[in-house]
Amino acid sequence: MKPTKYILLAFALASFGACTEGDTLGGNDIDDTPGNNDDITEPEDTSGGEDNTFEHPGGPDIWDYLERLAEEGPPEFSSRMHSCPKMTYARIGNILQSRGVDLDGQSNLSAGFLWRNGAPALGAPNLSVRSRENTEITTASAAKLFDIFAQAAPEIITAMPTLAACTVNGVGTEMFTPEGTCTIDGIACLTGVPATVAHLELCNEMVNRASTTTKGQEIAVAALAAAAHTCE
Amino acid sequence: MNKAKTWSAAFALLLGLSACSGDTQTQGNGGGGNNGGVDAGPTEDAAPELTPFEEALEEREVDYSAALRIAALRLTGDLPTLTELQNVATASDQKSAYEALVAAYIADPRFTDTQLEFWKNTFKMGGSVELDSAGVLAAQLVVEGRPLTELLTAATGTCPTYDPNTQVFTPTDCDNGVAVHAGLLTHPGMNAHFTSNMAFRRVRWVQETFACTAFPAEVAAEPEALSDTALYTAPWEFTSISGTANGGDIDFLDYQSVVCANCHATMNHMAPLFGYFDDLGLRTDDISVPKPVDGNPPTALIDWLPDGETTGWRVDAPAADLPALGSVMAADPRVAECSVARAWNWAMGKGDIVDTLAAVPPAVFQTQFDDFVANGYDYKELLYQVFTSDDFVQF
Repeated sequence: MKPTKYILLAFALASFGACTEGDTLGGNDIDDTPGNNDDITEPEDTSGGEDNTFEHPGGPDIWDYLERLAEEGPPEFSSRMHSCPKMTYARIGNILQSRGVDLDGQSNLSAGFLWRNGAPALGAPNLSVRSRENTEITTASAAKLFDIFAQAAPEIITAMPTLAACTVNGVGTEMFTPEGTCTIDGIACLTGVPATVAHLELCNEMVNRASTTTKGQEIAVAALAAAAHTCE
Repeated sequence: MNKAKTWSAAFALLLGLSACSGDTQTQGNGGGGNNGGVDAGPTEDAAPELTPFEEALEEREVDYSAALRIAALRLTGDLPTLTELQNVATASDQKSAYEALVAAYIADPRFTDTQLEFWKNTFKMGGSVELDSAGVLAAQLVVEGRPLTELLTAATGTCPTYDPNTQVFTPTDCDNGVAVHAGLLTHPGMNAHFTSNMAFRRVRWVQETFACTAFPAEVAAEPEALSDTALYTAPWEFTSISGTANGGDIDFLDYQSVVCANCHATMNHMAPLFGYFDDLGLRTDDISVPKPVDGNPPTALIDWLPDGETTGWRVDAPAADLPALGSVMAADPRVAECSVARAWNWAMGKGDIVDTLAAVPPAVFQTQFDDFVANGYDYKELLYQVFTSDDFVQF
């Protein structure tokens, strides 16, 4: 299974890179706006001579910032475009819970257990040491998120017909038809956006290509959820 | 079929679809540009050529369903329900349906939880009742529609608690020996969490949290050349802060390597106000922050400012004490801009405006800023304006 995880991660990272290129139009245009600290003295530069080497706090890497400007464009442009931040730790828990996962699950392989014990890997904040929640997706957080959804899939499939979030006019939603094929409402409730025919075809293809229908359904749910919720 | 291969193929296909679906939705113009059908010959009235960035903005299309997912996640912490998705997707007036749901999300009890999360992250404070209370105060101001400037000016109830089970805020006065409180400026949790030599960490937190820029905070219209390589850029008199030549133990007037005063001109005029709190955040009669010299003695006023200098927020905004500092900060339009910029960045999924240099030009949110000021710094109303703005619903 480990090699497969690496393959998945590689695809995930490749897809990210590919789609951020939509913003990679080059150029930069720095000005004096809130948050635009192009005139900051770099922290490494703030110590003086032997008699004046007081500790100064670190700050953002100006070279990373310039690289980002080149990739994403000037703030006048990039600030008006949605970014793709990592799903916060709390929101992952909320999604799991509202989609039928028992967050108090005690089994070491349960999705609830993985989520409860995965805070560091998922980039949760550590405010006691003045560290905010990380908004960037890391390899560790993407891998952990996929592990969680892989374990959550059976719970989600079973619970979906009874979930308030997936009920319309008093009627629950099934993730799969009695014949085992995906439903468009099930995909929509899982991902949080209206499902398309392409979503449906891919979901069914995953089900059909697995060794058994049950395995295929679990793979489809995990893959759909992980892909949809990689970022907000 | 091999299970591993199935996983790989499935995930790759889905990632490609999901990650790029936003792009495919914005490609509907068929390359016709903005002047399709118009004679392309050069005329004096021809529209100016768009930059690639402007073209990308022009190519965005409204997608209320995509906006709904993000709004629900940010404002309630969870995905929209299937009913909500269908209400927007099938509505004859999608804009109204979407805006009604944004209003409902802001009225939802879960909005309090997301505000707590947002403010704790913004303040970098949490994990204990005392540290949590800073974020609780901000969330309370937002949820109750009170002016956000009370973060800097509130004299009572600045250490509130919140019970997530009953969803009730309980106003509580901070008990750290302060005679007149000034929002978070006198907060025991803040002053303990950001304690340091000479109170500079507290000053930095105030600057970055409420003005959205790192130091240097002020730049003179005409910088002063101190040597062939050293340029003094702050608007204060160069000798308005202490150095070893005018009574201090720390040479803030040094410019051999870097010009310390470029940042410290502002910092030193603010830091003495925060010097009267110990490392537990308790108000002390004497200055209690240490000085980074042998023995770490308490700092003396002369270590920050020479005789005759007074404290302040900016060169043109004096402040004799923390309540006065809170008042001048609350009146500073850059502080209000900072609040709006933070709301904007949160909505658009950006990182922290200072830590990640996620700048937002004020022109981008001018409409929302004007409304924010006109509405008495009501952050809840501001969030509604941001989450229903043209930029937020376009992809």
